Amino acid sequence: MRQRSTDQPTDRRMDLPTGLSTAHAFRRLARGLRLVLLIALAVLFLVPFYLLVRNGLATEADITGADWTFFPRSLQWGNLRELFDDSSVPMLHALWNSAVIAVLTTAGTLLLASMAGYGLARIAYPYASQVFYAFLVTLMIPSAVTFVPSFVLVSSLGWISTLRGLIVPTLFSAFAAFLFRQYFLGFPRELEDAARVDGLGHWRTYWRIVVPNTRPVFAAVGAIVFIGSWNSFLWPLVIGQQRDAWTVQVALATFTTAQTVNLHELFIAAAVSILPLLVVFLVLQRHIVAGAERSGIDE
Amino acid sequence: MPHSSTSANSISRRYLLAATGALALTAACGSNTGRAGGAGDRPALDQWYHQYGEAGTEQAVKRYAAAYRRAEITIEWRPGNYDQQTAAALLTKNAPDVFEGSPTLDQIQGGQVADLTDLLDGVREDFNPAVLTPKTYKGKVYGIPQAIDMQMLYYRKSLLDKAGVRPPQTLDELVDAARALTTKDVKGLFLGNDGGAGVLGATPLRAAGLELVTSDGAVGFDDPQAARTLGKLHRFHKDDSLLLGAPTDWSDPSAFLQGLTAMQWTGLWALPQIEKALGDDFGVLPFPRDGARGRPSVPVGAYGSAVSAHSGHIDAAKAYVKWLWVERTDYQEDFALSYGFHIPARISLAKKAAALAKGAAAEAVRFTTEHGYAQPLLWTARSQTAYQDALSRIITEGADPEAQIRAVVATANAELKRVRS
Amino acid sequence: MWLSFFDAHNTVTPIDFVGLDNYSEILGDPSFISSLVTFVVFSLFIVPATYGLSLALALMVARLRFAQAFFRSVFFLPTACSYVVAAMIWKLSIFNGVRFGLANTVLGWFGGSDTAWLSTTSPPWYWLVIVTVRLWLQAGFYMVILLAGLQRIPRTLYEAAAVDGARPGWQVFRYITFPQLRATSVAVVLLLVINAFQAFDEFYNLLSTARGYPPYARPPLVYLYYVALGQGQNLGLGSAGAVILALIIAVVAVVQARWFGLGRQED
Repeated sequence: MRQRSTDQPTDRRMDLPTGLSTAHAFRRLARGLRLVLLIALAVLFLVPFYLLVRNGLATEADITGADWTFFPRSLQWGNLRELFDDSSVPMLHALWNSAVIAVLTTAGTLLLASMAGYGLARIAYPYASQVFYAFLVTLMIPSAVTFVPSFVLVSSLGWISTLRGLIVPTLFSAFAAFLFRQYFLGFPRELEDAARVDGLGHWRTYWRIVVPNTRPVFAAVGAIVFIGSWNSFLWPLVIGQQRDAWTVQVALATFTTAQTVNLHELFIAAAVSILPLLVVFLVLQRHIVAGAERSGIDE
Repeated sequence: MPHSSTSANSISRRYLLAATGALALTAACGSNTGRAGGAGDRPALDQWYHQYGEAGTEQAVKRYAAAYRRAEITIEWRPGNYDQQTAAALLTKNAPDVFEGSPTLDQIQGGQVADLTDLLDGVREDFNPAVLTPKTYKGKVYGIPQAIDMQMLYYRKSLLDKAGVRPPQTLDELVDAARALTTKDVKGLFLGNDGGAGVLGATPLRAAGLELVTSDGAVGFDDPQAARTLGKLHRFHKDDSLLLGAPTDWSDPSAFLQGLTAMQWTGLWALPQIEKALGDDFGVLPFPRDGARGRPSVPVGAYGSAVSAHSGHIDAAKAYVKWLWVERTDYQEDFALSYGFHIPARISLAKKAAALAKGAAAEAVRFTTEHGYAQPLLWTARSQTAYQDALSRIITEGADPEAQIRAVVATANAELKRVRS
Repeated sequence: MWLSFFDAHNTVTPIDFVGLDNYSEILGDPSFISSLVTFVVFSLFIVPATYGLSLALALMVARLRFAQAFFRSVFFLPTACSYVVAAMIWKLSIFNGVRFGLANTVLGWFGGSDTAWLSTTSPPWYWLVIVTVRLWLQAGFYMVILLAGLQRIPRTLYEAAAVDGARPGWQVFRYITFPQLRATSVAVVLLLVINAFQAFDEFYNLLSTARGYPPYARPPLVYLYYVALGQGQNLGLGSAGAVILALIIAVVAVVQARWFGLGRQED
């Protein structure tokens, strides 16, 4: 991955001198315009983050004032304390819930999806292609669509407002299994064959040979699952009914429609809610990008 | 307490079957309620309140709960779409034992809420009938009214004076006033970010002299006047005199206090906050009358304290409700009058409340007695959704009111037929 | 393995559970039908728009000679943000209807008057709000996928094109880049359509109020949420709607697969 991003791709060769200086000038102009456009777009893309921080650290009067204030007159770090001191907003508990759910979901999904992916990629069994098609169909039908029947099932298990109810049904990700399958298909068979010669079965080959040699795909899928889990909303909204089971997204959404809304507190809470992800992002960016890239490969 | 005047619900038998099926399953399989047993012999009870905007309310209800000796009460304070949350929770084993709400016809017919009639023995007459009736089905009471709230129109006297507008007495005057009060930065009227479809509900129909459901259980707005009145609500939009897209909704007086609007429809609960911020620079009005049979109108409602029929401690829960909402009149008075602003549901308490004797509060009490109406129990969720969608289309899109009302009348007729059979 | 089919398996339950009456009922429900129309309109907006923006970003970033990593990170960063947070910023700070919203402030500089973006149905400004939220959140992710696709295109093809006298710019894009990117594009479009079907978060967080949800811009999942878990508590009807929706998606998926020539044995 690293190679690719530093290695200049495609069309540097296209700047071969054509001998026409007007065309040359035209291309330089186009390049300049492109850069300006990119910078403008980058600024636009950053505006929402700016608003998040500005509103989070401003006073209510700065936010709702008649004149637009680009930067709060003074940064209200006290807003942070106000947020965590506010007994009506279970912010710490919600952050904790989100963290527990995201970590367990990521670990569980990696385990199940990698094994499923390995099975799809390597193990020959009757009706393998039918299974794969059925699999593709589940991939197409996201679990969000079937949330009503899923709710009925989870509710019949008595799992409403429990961590089990929030985590278990989300563990079976066809998408993650698909990513693993694609990766394992490209994994050199020779290593496994050698293991097989040594008398290792599928199970032990998988654990001893495949897993240790495919860490990057685990990091990539793991990062994507973690982000998805932390940011997921519909399922936690439906299942996390009791306040104790709220995730940070549900808490935020609930307070957006509350009877009275405190803008600066809401925004500082939102800023706090994306901080953990920004950390994950900075640490794992290379893998996340790799994961995103991989989700496009061969369909 | 913005939600309390909504009640209503619908499930045909079939769905009810599905829902109770799910409940039966739940009861059979669910063992873990996530609740530890109470300390010693005292049962542990969960109690839900929706998030009151007024400071101190949460502390107050916790104080009452802590004073109760015969059970251990855990208070849950829930912001957001509260009626929806309780409705969803009542489908599961995790429903709170005690909750404030307006038990709907489906919840009553579906056996989700316990019969509380006997808690009112001897004091039933003391509860304001306007709010007790919607909690009563076939003579049985399913919620003990806690405190009455109502909604009305607040206006800035100074802004009206400046624009040379007098407080509107008819819907036409309200439309004209909103237009006259609109300037570049200040809108004339705020009815919520959806343009009023959610909060107004049946109020304009009432103001036109009509009803949602007549006393003999028929649709009460199958009348040409309905289209005439609702059609006028679109004029706010056409005149661009309506505040829309404010960060806070109608239930929060912020838009009014921040000077974004000259008039706002909101609840009695906002009165102390408005009084504190504006002094005497404001006045209150009921929703103005419209048409020949018109009359001013204000919606009143009350959350009742209800008990989940699936609670593991129904008797303890009922005993607690009786203690708090029937016996402890001191707490009831404190709850209604010390935080925000409500009218006690007990007639005897309302009469002696000094805070309600003067100024805008006294006006509000007068509106409640003279012009108040509550949403009938027979008005189901499906009727309400159909009506609210139609109202939204009429107000914001300028849809043809006659066609819209015809569709609602058809839905409501079918629903009424269903629930009465 | 079979657990992967868990979610699909669930959908069988309600069929045993309530009978077929629910199906005729939900199919005859004009609100459900209009929610499907809303979804189609939304997809027609969001899929081409996201694909177009992602591709434009990818093409521009790929040609950068410096700061490529920086721009890629900037455009990719919104992926870390949730729909809830994004919807909140859009609703309360950018596109609120009052003078201190960013959009109205900018409009004010040019002499425009305040617009209630989310409440205005003619013209339907609310679509602008809804579509831009998703664009912002998604474009970076798909840009990265397309960038990877661009980088897999053999350089020799471009050299050959230059020799053949193809002019850089549109011609090269039309005859080399775009056809070579086909596989990646198909994957991106598929993912976009799948995601569009799941649309719930931003709609709910932008438009719901304590009193419900307006009748416009109500996609199927939001409608089913209110039907099944709202005060109506109509789980049977909601489940029927979910099954119908799943069937529609399956059909769309198959049609799409045929259309793009997917699903052939690949190995």
